[in-house]
Amino acid sequence: MQTQTIWQRMLSIDRRLLYLLLFVNIVVFLLAPIRMPASISPPVQKFYDEIEKLKPGDLVMISSNWSASTLAENQPQLEAVLIHLMRKKARFTFISIEAQSRDISYRLARRVTETTGYEYGKDWAHFGFVPNLTVAIKGMVNDLPSTIKQDVRGTPISQLEVVKGVKSLGQYKMIIDVTPSGTVPIWISYSPKGIPILYCPTSVMAAEAYTYLDSGQIKGMITGAKGAQEYEQLLHIKGLGAPFANAISFSHVLIILFILLGNLAMFMNRVQARREA
Amino acid sequence: MDWILQFLPLGTERISIWIGVLCTLAIYSLLYRENPIYRFFEHMYIGLAAGYSLGPLFVDIIYRYWIEPIWVQGYWAWAFVVPYGMYLYFIFSERYGWLSRIVIGTLIGASAGLFFQEFSSRYLPQLNSTLQKPLWVSSANPDVTGWDVFVNFLFIAILLSVLTYFTFSYEQRGGVKRVATVGRWFLMIGLGAIFGNTVMARMALLIGRIYYILSDWLMLPLGGGGG
Amino acid sequence: MSLSHFIAQWQLPEQGRYLYATLVVLGASVLILGLAPVLQSLPPRGRRALIVTVTFLAGLFFAAEFFLPIDWTAVFPKDDPTRNFLTPAIQPAQNVLQIIGALALGLGTYGLVRLHLRNVVQKRTQWGYSVVLLVAFVTMATFSILNTLSEKQLVTKTPLLETVFSILFDYTLVQLDAAMFSLIAFYIFSAAYRAFRIRSVEASILMFTAMVVMIGVVPLGAYISYTVLGLPQGPAPENADWWTRFLHSAGLPTIAHWILTALNAPAQRAIEFGVGIGGLAMAIRLWLSLERGVT
Repeated sequence: MQTQTIWQRMLSIDRRLLYLLLFVNIVVFLLAPIRMPASISPPVQKFYDEIEKLKPGDLVMISSNWSASTLAENQPQLEAVLIHLMRKKARFTFISIEAQSRDISYRLARRVTETTGYEYGKDWAHFGFVPNLTVAIKGMVNDLPSTIKQDVRGTPISQLEVVKGVKSLGQYKMIIDVTPSGTVPIWISYSPKGIPILYCPTSVMAAEAYTYLDSGQIKGMITGAKGAQEYEQLLHIKGLGAPFANAISFSHVLIILFILLGNLAMFMNRVQARREA
Repeated sequence: MDWILQFLPLGTERISIWIGVLCTLAIYSLLYRENPIYRFFEHMYIGLAAGYSLGPLFVDIIYRYWIEPIWVQGYWAWAFVVPYGMYLYFIFSERYGWLSRIVIGTLIGASAGLFFQEFSSRYLPQLNSTLQKPLWVSSANPDVTGWDVFVNFLFIAILLSVLTYFTFSYEQRGGVKRVATVGRWFLMIGLGAIFGNTVMARMALLIGRIYYILSDWLMLPLGGGGG
Repeated sequence: MSLSHFIAQWQLPEQGRYLYATLVVLGASVLILGLAPVLQSLPPRGRRALIVTVTFLAGLFFAAEFFLPIDWTAVFPKDDPTRNFLTPAIQPAQNVLQIIGALALGLGTYGLVRLHLRNVVQKRTQWGYSVVLLVAFVTMATFSILNTLSEKQLVTKTPLLETVFSILFDYTLVQLDAAMFSLIAFYIFSAAYRAFRIRSVEASILMFTAMVVMIGVVPLGAYISYTVLGLPQGPAPENADWWTRFLHSAGLPTIAHWILTALNAPAQRAIEFGVGIGGLAMAIRLWLSLERGVT
């Protein structure tokens, strides 16, 4: 049997070794006491400035559509944004288009609001789950109370203090979409013109949203967990985004290194094969 | 000693965390190879996810939009909606299968009708924004610098070249083909940005899980972080 | 008079409402489901005509509501000058579509349970896993419905219900879901090493962009640029020379942001335009049932 060259061995490396390497890399950089402040990207700064413009009592619609599958990306975003909204004393209501996200966002908001004395029903509420966001938005623009009818606790919308006197989505001051799926184009398309839309996508979807940022259809964006880290830095809080930051940075280094190594191995393997031929 | 006592599953909260870690490790066992433990937890996951969705579906939708309006408020006209929607379930019948297409038609027709509004509010403002980009420095726009004008020209050139690449109505030859090739290169920049961000998202999800194992289960002090 | 006001008038009397409501629902079910054999007697052409008509009317309602001018006061008197005569009917339409949407989602669950029940009954290979799935399904469905009902104060919220639901949801389903989707990170790493080959101009551009973005947007990019290389951070001062301006914009985060806004955004916009035009053509084809095999 012919012995393999180092390049051939590199190309046929056991994938489980690669998995282990990635795992160890993340463990090490989660534990390592390295502190690297983020540089605040302009979309995150715009997001922050937009919320800063809110006045106490302004009403914000939060569309929370993420489930546990994107927990690590969307949870830090939503937590940081809620803290900022509460600092500005804004009132907010939730709506979800995914069954699981209904309970996740409701439970998360209950936990986060408890720390600041925000009261359910008075300062915030959850409108529950609707499978069809498009018609729900059209309905809320037309007549919010008869579209939503009741919140997750079964209270009729007309009796909820947080939306007292609110007839239409047009009376909201801001829409924030925390999402791992294509819901922001729906908000852009069907919500009333003039209400700023802020976007918290998973990083996968962020690159596609730059066209909306350019056209002003969305006013600011927090890109995944690393965007959340930037936002936490702006708010001077320590949330979930910060501990993830080092591990994200160095997992990128590892991937880049291995893309280059893979290509080098392929190139050298070819050179060697040509030489032998 | 204290650490071990806190670590062991000796209370509801610790038991819960141990269950969470057991689930995570069982799923990760697939990375070594396909095995019965993974299959067990995979099926449990699908069962739990399907079962869970019934709560919000039944209470948030059927109760809110159908049961309460009829039984509590007495608006009897809604009574017809669920039986009509149930036509969907004929899809499993060979003989009556076509009936489900009436309801599917309702959903498809509605989405198609709604798309006109989406087209006007989603795509036209982007066209508008492109056409409004200043292409020369003038006293009317004192904030626009020479660099901004260059970037705007670049923006429009990239947009047009990528659109040229997407034009398949006729055979691309000569100059058009060259523009399309440049368009393809610019498209690769867009796809590269998407790839970079995708890697970041996927890594974050894995980091979130490992964070849970290290922080919640092993209760280790995590060092790093931002500023 | 708007449709919702019209429907609002058809209200059952308060006394004996539960009984009347049950009777009406039973009647409606018998009527609608009884219609199935009647519709079955339609010839294939009639069946298609029925589906095409329903699809067209559903689309026409939303299209007309959007396109029609709001001022039709002469023909249809209305209460609000900002809406046309079809707008109030959005409400009942949204309720109907949410219900049908929920039933459509339930269809997937029904299909799944049906398949695994069959596996168990016929004792197909590895039917034990189907038992696991069904047990998990029934347990979770029970506690999920009870939990949602208890939130609405329709059943009592006991500590047992809360604990069991929390273990099933927060510590089992959420953990399994998060773990399942995090597996992709391992595969993407392995694939990047084994399959990402720079063999063409396109692949080189893609990889170069990806690398700049991957390092530029994370804190490491800022650290390399501003701490290791000592580049100045933030915008250059007003009257700075070109070299200072260059240094201020040479940091990796600034370059990554420039790539994303100046080079990536127009490419994404071109994709958007393509999707938009394609979507519009598709919407018209679906609405008019020109797309075969869907309706």
